[in-house]
Amino acid sequence: MSLQLIVNGISLGAVYALIAVGFALVFSILKFSNFAHGGMISAAAYIAYFFYSAFENPPSLWTTLIFTAIVSLLIALLLDTLCYRRIRKNNSPNIYYFVASITFAILIEQILNVFFGKMSYGFPPMFEKTSMQFFSASFSTMDLVVLVISLVLLAVLMLLINKTKIGLAIRAVAIDGRTGRLMGINSGFIILLTFALAGFLAGVSGTLLGIKYSVYPALGSSMMVKGFIASVIGGLGSLSGAIIAAILLGVIEMVLVYYLGSSITPALLFGIMLLFLFLRPQGISGKFAQDKV
Amino acid sequence: MKVKKGLAVLLAASTTLGMLAGCGTTDEQTSTPDASKSAGGDQDTIVIGTIQDLSGSASEAGNANAWGVEYAVRQINEQGGINGKKLELVTMDCKGDVQEGINCYRLLVDEHNVAAIVGPPLSNPALAWVDLSEEDQVPIVGHFMDERCTTNEETGEPYPYMFLAEPGCAQQSYCIAAYGLEELGCETFATFYNAGLSYAVMHAEPFAEYVTAQGGTIVAEETFQAGDVDYRAQAVKIANANPDAVFVCNYAADNALCYDYLREAGYEGIILGNNTFQSPFNTLVKSDVYDCYFLMNYDMENPDDPSYPIIQKYMEETGTKYPIANACFGYDATMVLAEGLKAVDDPYDGEAVAAALAQVKDAPGAAHSITINPETHRTIGMPMLIAEYDKDFHINVITSYTLSEEWDT
Repeated sequence: MSLQLIVNGISLGAVYALIAVGFALVFSILKFSNFAHGGMISAAAYIAYFFYSAFENPPSLWTTLIFTAIVSLLIALLLDTLCYRRIRKNNSPNIYYFVASITFAILIEQILNVFFGKMSYGFPPMFEKTSMQFFSASFSTMDLVVLVISLVLLAVLMLLINKTKIGLAIRAVAIDGRTGRLMGINSGFIILLTFALAGFLAGVSGTLLGIKYSVYPALGSSMMVKGFIASVIGGLGSLSGAIIAAILLGVIEMVLVYYLGSSITPALLFGIMLLFLFLRPQGISGKFAQDKV
Repeated sequence: MKVKKGLAVLLAASTTLGMLAGCGTTDEQTSTPDASKSAGGDQDTIVIGTIQDLSGSASEAGNANAWGVEYAVRQINEQGGINGKKLELVTMDCKGDVQEGINCYRLLVDEHNVAAIVGPPLSNPALAWVDLSEEDQVPIVGHFMDERCTTNEETGEPYPYMFLAEPGCAQQSYCIAAYGLEELGCETFATFYNAGLSYAVMHAEPFAEYVTAQGGTIVAEETFQAGDVDYRAQAVKIANANPDAVFVCNYAADNALCYDYLREAGYEGIILGNNTFQSPFNTLVKSDVYDCYFLMNYDMENPDDPSYPIIQKYMEETGTKYPIANACFGYDATMVLAEGLKAVDDPYDGEAVAAALAQVKDAPGAAHSITINPETHRTIGMPMLIAEYDKDFHINVITSYTLSEEWDT
């Protein structure tokens, strides 16, 4: 197996990890799979593209990333207000969340289709050198940037969740929101914060995916499936599990496509997901989420 | 509670109305004739329809195509119409979907009583109309390049009511394969395409057929699936096989990704492309573009080319920032149809119009005159251009290529 394949797989996995973590965050708190995250990623890619194109001297990648992440954070809060808050207030069953999230995912994609679907958008090359040589392999500069940003962001997120009081509150609400409230945690705020974090991640994912591939309405939903598989294999609701599973998934996908072809690979990946659900439903490290699967 | 109930009733009512309004879910963009008429239009008009993807995944091409049809109709009417009758156009949106395409077809034929239809540059919806057009005797002229839309694969006979107004997938693939073999001196080739896209499959297979027949070798055939976004594993495999040239034949966004992945994987050889390597490919690709030769139907950026004023008009009227060949495709298909309609006494006699379309010679296309081969219902003797990008992403047309009679089918 070539070094090139492994590094390509890790960089693909890093993208899946960003998506899977946004997914896992919301699942850990509200116990539902937020499919609207895919729509958010697509919307973020458009925001990043139009922000970047609006200036005669285009802003840097970092400015574009931060701007898009903040706008996506605000959109996520709006989405929660419009979509999920009422369901929460009414203590409605989880199926309502599920239906609402799918509806919003489709709605966002359709809105993007109506307004922007007629054109293809691509960011101009952002780096003078588009690829670099590393031992016997050649790597795209953008892939390395995506890999580094994803890993740094995920490390910061893990620190936030595991080493801060806010993180402790998030974990407490994830285990049991009512008990958390009895212990003085403002669970409403924690839920909002979780949506904000997921929105921020969607903003970063959308920007990076838009730059790496191109900007089109189904960008988020096409990547969402892999993010979902990673979050299931990692253990729904487990952040560290989602990251490990996503990286593994990226490498496995790359190797399977290389040796077996692209037509059989998706079936095998779904097979692996089913196998996990049958044999280890809590996922790779889902000790936290065992009761939620 | 009353407010909630009222809201629920309102929501239910609006949903029901929405569903009813959405039946057929087609967008009519131009004035429609009175549906009560027994045949479309009145004595002074001929109603034709066009079905395009105006809001689906290929809507960028579809909207340009629709504009081309509308522009041709405008031009024909300004010049006095068809045998003194004005053309009236009904435009419908198939959203790139086969079922929507059938709905659009039924509405045009049953409600609008059209004389003929200008079809989209999409093969999947067009394949579904083959039988319908024969049952209803409604001629369809379009840019569905998949040969299976115009000829029966098993018998080789042309479908009587389906016509293609540009060279088909195979004809175009033969051209670029011949250029690779004869002009560039390549001996080994690979293909890299979307196996879920009939347009791509129908390019890749004839390309391999031509290469093999002329003594070349296909050393790798790598595919990906519709909806995939990462094809780096396949690119690495092709780079390891190191062919003299790789043929990439998808829609523009996929072509840009394939190109980038091949270069990232360290492949430094020649990349040959189909006719979607023009804009927006150049706005999507990230790597340096070199040793890349692709097909074009029109020299759209050349002020001396007859297609130039049409493309300029398209960009001016729609605000589009780059030339799109589909504007000319829509124009060409309408001009071919107009030749067929001109040749008959009754434009609503589908059988007569189809017979006339099969005999069309030198119809005035956007850049070339168009002749339909009665044996295949596709064009014959129509040249394809071979082009490349310069460093500033301007297109240089290198040569024009017309296939020998043996392969021009």
